[in-house]
Amino acid sequence: MARDKEKRSCGQVWAEWKAFVWDPRTRQLLGRTASSWGLILLFYLVFYGFLAGLFALTMWVMLQSVDPHVPKYQDRLLTPGMMIRPYAEGLDVTFNVSQRHTWMPYVHALHQFLEPYNDSLQAARNAACTPGRYHEQPDDGVPNVPKRACRFNRSSLGPCAGLGPPHSETYGYGTGQPCVLVKINRVINYFPGANKSINVVCAAKDEEDAALLGPLHLFPPNGSIDLMYFPYYGKRVHVNYTQPVVAVQFANATAGVQHHVECRLRALGMRGEGAEPQRDRFAGRVEFRLRLHRE
Amino acid sequence: RSSRKAFKLTHSYVEMHEFMLQIKPKPGLSSAKAAQVLARDGPNALTPPKATPEIVKFLKQMIGGFSILLWIGAVFSWISFGIQLAQGAESPFDNLYLGVVLALVVILTGIFAYYQEAKSTNIMASFSKMIPQQALVIRDGEKKELPADQLVVGDIVEIKGGDRIPADIRLIFAQGCKVDNSSLTGESEPQSRSCDFTHENPLETKNIAFYSTTCVEGTATGIVINTGDRTIIGRIASLTSGVGNEKTPIAIEIEHFVYLVAGVAISIGVLFFIISVSMRYKILDSIIFLIGIIVANVPEGLLATVTVSLSLTAKRMAKKNCLVKNLEAVETLGSTSVICSDKTGTLTQNRMTVAHLWFDNQIYSADTSEDQTTQPFDQSSPSWTALSKIVTLCNRAEFRPGQENLPIMKRVVVGDASETALLKFAEVILGDVMNIRAQNKKVAEIPFNSTNKFQLSIHKTDDPNDERFLLVMKGAPERILERCSTIMINGKEEPLDSEKAEAFQTAYMELGGMGERVLGFCHLYLPENEFPDTYSFDTDSMNFPTSNLCFVGLLSMIDPPRSTVPDAVSKCRSAGIKVIMVTGDHPITAKAIAKSVGIISATSETVEDIAKRLNIPVEQVNWREATAAVVNGMELKDMSSQQLDEILCNHSEIVFARTSPQQKLIIVEGCQRQGAVVAVTGDGVNDSPALKKADIGIAMGIAGSDAAKNAADMVLLDDNFASIVTGVEEGRLIFDNLKKTIAYTLTKNIAELCPFLIYIIASIPLPIGTITILFIDLGTDIIPSVALAYEKAESDIMNRRPRNKRKDRLVNEQLAIYSYLQIGIMQSVGAFVTYFTVYAEQGFLPSTLLGVRVNWENNAINDFEDSYGQEWTKYQRTYLQWTGYTAFFVSITIQQVADLIIRKTRRNSIFQQGNKVIWVGIFSQIGIALILTYGLGHVTALNFTPLRFQYWFVAVPFAILIWVYDEVRKLFIRRYPGSK
Repeated sequence: MARDKEKRSCGQVWAEWKAFVWDPRTRQLLGRTASSWGLILLFYLVFYGFLAGLFALTMWVMLQSVDPHVPKYQDRLLTPGMMIRPYAEGLDVTFNVSQRHTWMPYVHALHQFLEPYNDSLQAARNAACTPGRYHEQPDDGVPNVPKRACRFNRSSLGPCAGLGPPHSETYGYGTGQPCVLVKINRVINYFPGANKSINVVCAAKDEEDAALLGPLHLFPPNGSIDLMYFPYYGKRVHVNYTQPVVAVQFANATAGVQHHVECRLRALGMRGEGAEPQRDRFAGRVEFRLRLHRE
Repeated sequence: RSSRKAFKLTHSYVEMHEFMLQIKPKPGLSSAKAAQVLARDGPNALTPPKATPEIVKFLKQMIGGFSILLWIGAVFSWISFGIQLAQGAESPFDNLYLGVVLALVVILTGIFAYYQEAKSTNIMASFSKMIPQQALVIRDGEKKELPADQLVVGDIVEIKGGDRIPADIRLIFAQGCKVDNSSLTGESEPQSRSCDFTHENPLETKNIAFYSTTCVEGTATGIVINTGDRTIIGRIASLTSGVGNEKTPIAIEIEHFVYLVAGVAISIGVLFFIISVSMRYKILDSIIFLIGIIVANVPEGLLATVTVSLSLTAKRMAKKNCLVKNLEAVETLGSTSVICSDKTGTLTQNRMTVAHLWFDNQIYSADTSEDQTTQPFDQSSPSWTALSKIVTLCNRAEFRPGQENLPIMKRVVVGDASETALLKFAEVILGDVMNIRAQNKKVAEIPFNSTNKFQLSIHKTDDPNDERFLLVMKGAPERILERCSTIMINGKEEPLDSEKAEAFQTAYMELGGMGERVLGFCHLYLPENEFPDTYSFDTDSMNFPTSNLCFVGLLSMIDPPRSTVPDAVSKCRSAGIKVIMVTGDHPITAKAIAKSVGIISATSETVEDIAKRLNIPVEQVNWREATAAVVNGMELKDMSSQQLDEILCNHSEIVFARTSPQQKLIIVEGCQRQGAVVAVTGDGVNDSPALKKADIGIAMGIAGSDAAKNAADMVLLDDNFASIVTGVEEGRLIFDNLKKTIAYTLTKNIAELCPFLIYIIASIPLPIGTITILFIDLGTDIIPSVALAYEKAESDIMNRRPRNKRKDRLVNEQLAIYSYLQIGIMQSVGAFVTYFTVYAEQGFLPSTLLGVRVNWENNAINDFEDSYGQEWTKYQRTYLQWTGYTAFFVSITIQQVADLIIRKTRRNSIFQQGNKVIWVGIFSQIGIALILTYGLGHVTALNFTPLRFQYWFVAVPFAILIWVYDEVRKLFIRRYPGSK
């Protein structure tokens, strides 16, 4: 083999290459004639066409078997997650009280988030449900009947409702008493608390930090969440569902320190002890960092 | 002479003579002195050829093949880990682990390959140590049995027939000593040895016997003059190490395959790196994609599988008496297109056997098979009775005592080759020869010598009524005939007229023409009155008649072919392998054996044959008409390489006779110039250059010297040519099966690669993780790919030509395209259907999945909305992603079962060919997948989750489709063979 390579000169190799790419004598492109290439192309066209059709068919069959209203399995959603608003990259709420541009995005985000919670909208769209118990709406034989949502009034969030004059409303960010909203993830047919009342509690993650973090105020009072907001029936039938939120206001957080805050859902029957929720830092709780400056 | 090179080295031998004089034979060396010399000179053993240091071998395994690619992957992982760590990202350790896993994979497969190689080397090492040689030494005035490697210069050793000479020795006492120097000089006749200094040249002088040659008969005592590497053999051995080893064909094939796959991996990797960068992915992410693409493309387990398959075949070959030293030689044998075979011992049984008889004006054939117990020819004639008596009595050979239970053919005989043949022949027909001899008491004897060219003995007869002595004689037929005046026909003595003499001549020529050694037999009953019972015979004065005897018959002997050889040669022929005989024997004998085993077929003619048939001089024959050729070593010496090439090209049946081992090298090189893959057999030390030069050197296990075994790639334990053919069959089979293994392994690469490509382009959650891919490549797929090595041949394996090194590649375009673009794509489709099913049933419909990658992988987003309005934390999504990995993994596994079934055969339908080991493969595959998903499903680091059982079946229709598709393809191949 090595001997052969020595024998062939560069020019010959190049000529062979050229002949391979396009051989004018046999009219072959890359070693095949046009009709041969055509047949190959046709074969793969048919072959891949068939496979694409088969893929589409099986996907269609599969989707036919999927109920569009309720997912078949909720294996991973046994414990709902929790999340905060405003959303901050890395769950890191950092701002400078005296620098408006550092907290304005939060204010905007909160404004936007709370828009559907306006009392007027709630009154118009949603029902006044009986507090203290689950608002169950059985189908009664008719599948996927549209469900009504219960009212959650923005005003119940107290100072964190953001109902002040539009131009001066800062959800406390402008005064160094920021509000953070805590919400529970929507999970279809989830009944928290086993018929007992549930509430959200927040605290500094480290005990040393508790004093620096200062007092926390929860709205609605006690951070309680009414059972009437459960269960959730899915976005198709439960159109105007308003997710219950709890607002936390940090009345006197020490500036210039990074506070680790943890909020938990206190409810009976929470699966908070198993291995998986241990690993999932957002199952039934939410952790975030708060850091404010006053320069 | 052939060993001229060695001569130059040995002038120092002459100086030894002075040294000899100082040694007193009787007490020998003292143990203390011997220990001193041993410490100075080292043990009396050849230094094995310089081996590559173990660490170098090990490191080669670490960087060879795909390892480099995986190292690159590992380094990239660590780099991105470093960057992520510096950036303070959430989970940088994933990349650290991935890098560690990749490095581990390389190291473990490297260790495995190294271990396999070491193991096969050990087989060889253990083989050469099987019989530790002993030597009888006189030390401290006592005879001692010592291991031969303890010998030192100055030791006195005793040697007897059958021993191997333990060192170079100068003889100080010899009695009928003959040595077989064939391994050293190529001379096939035993050389006699005495104490006389006959020549300046140590190789020529009669008083030196050489290390590793054998003493054939007689006894001798000698002084060790050189040990270990300083012996003649040691010096030749160091010369041969100069001939380089060529790369084996399978090594070239695997290299080709590695380049191909690595090329695909790198080009797809780089292409998608560019695509992902231009799609505004971060460089770091793009690098991670690159790692994934490399890992998906590289069949990590394949090289280990190939090694295992080769060693399985090596084991199987060892059972069939082919011991393979170098694993890759297993396949080389399969691609062999020319076998240059020795005659003696390889094609023949290596013992003289009576082949033909002539008496009563008729030629009879004798049975020459290995295990004859009877002779079928007509034994009713009284002439035969007379002849058998001469054969029995005029014979000095004897069985060694204590072998009564052994078959006659296996008994050890003291005596030369012809006499042994006659003794065994007589024993088979007449039974207890020794008893017959005892009853016909020998009263006088003249042994054979080269001036008389006959052997004579006088016996009393066993007939009590017959008082006459019987004179029996055998020898060169023409000499015997000269001494006869009558000839026995049907038991009656008739005058030997010219007509009868003519008949004798014809028979003699015919037997001689068959390459056989012919002996004539005659007898004479001495008249009672002249030679009474008490007559005293004197062999010196020959006081008895030695002429006017009665001629009885001829016997001819030959070293007959092994009975399995003709079949093996015809197998080679149908397998397109050219068998060339290379022998030191006479052309007539060589040609006769070549004809009888089929190396020269019955219909083909040599130039000489044509000349004889047309009755014209040899020079006028158009040599192109001759298909066969018998080339004499003398002619070969004067040939240019072009002339040799012409002969090799133009004749399909070639015998080289009277060749020296050196010429073997020339013949091998000539064949290699024709582009052939050449297998060469050899046993002598001087064969080692040819063995090394050949693509596969085959040393004889029984007759072979250590030097030959060292130089060879394979050792034939039973010295039988037929075993080579079995080896060829195994070699071809493994090549076919490796093709299947590779096709099987490559297919799923596409199913592993597509997820990454679609992940990058469509930004869906990653369908399968890098670690999961490793679990397929190194977990579920390993045993099935090894199981394919057990696949039987698809009927036509020995009926096709040897593969063309340039065209029939291990991995060719068709195989790659069929695997990658057809079956692989089908597998991907099946796996994606499973993937989408799992996500859809958990809440993410396919439409929701497109383009979600960035948010999906964001650690801060813990309320990711699915198709039903539900919200998911990052961990919940990741867990779902792992379930997706598991589902994808399971689907590939299920479809690999179908792939395994279709790869079993390339032409035959699955219904036509079974293989029980495949079931082991299938069950292991599914078993390992079950263990991974359900057993290790809770170990998060492995990214497996317990999967709902129904997802195992989603890909089943696709598996069935793959199988049906391939069955249809095979049906077309069987219906329309030959079309592309």
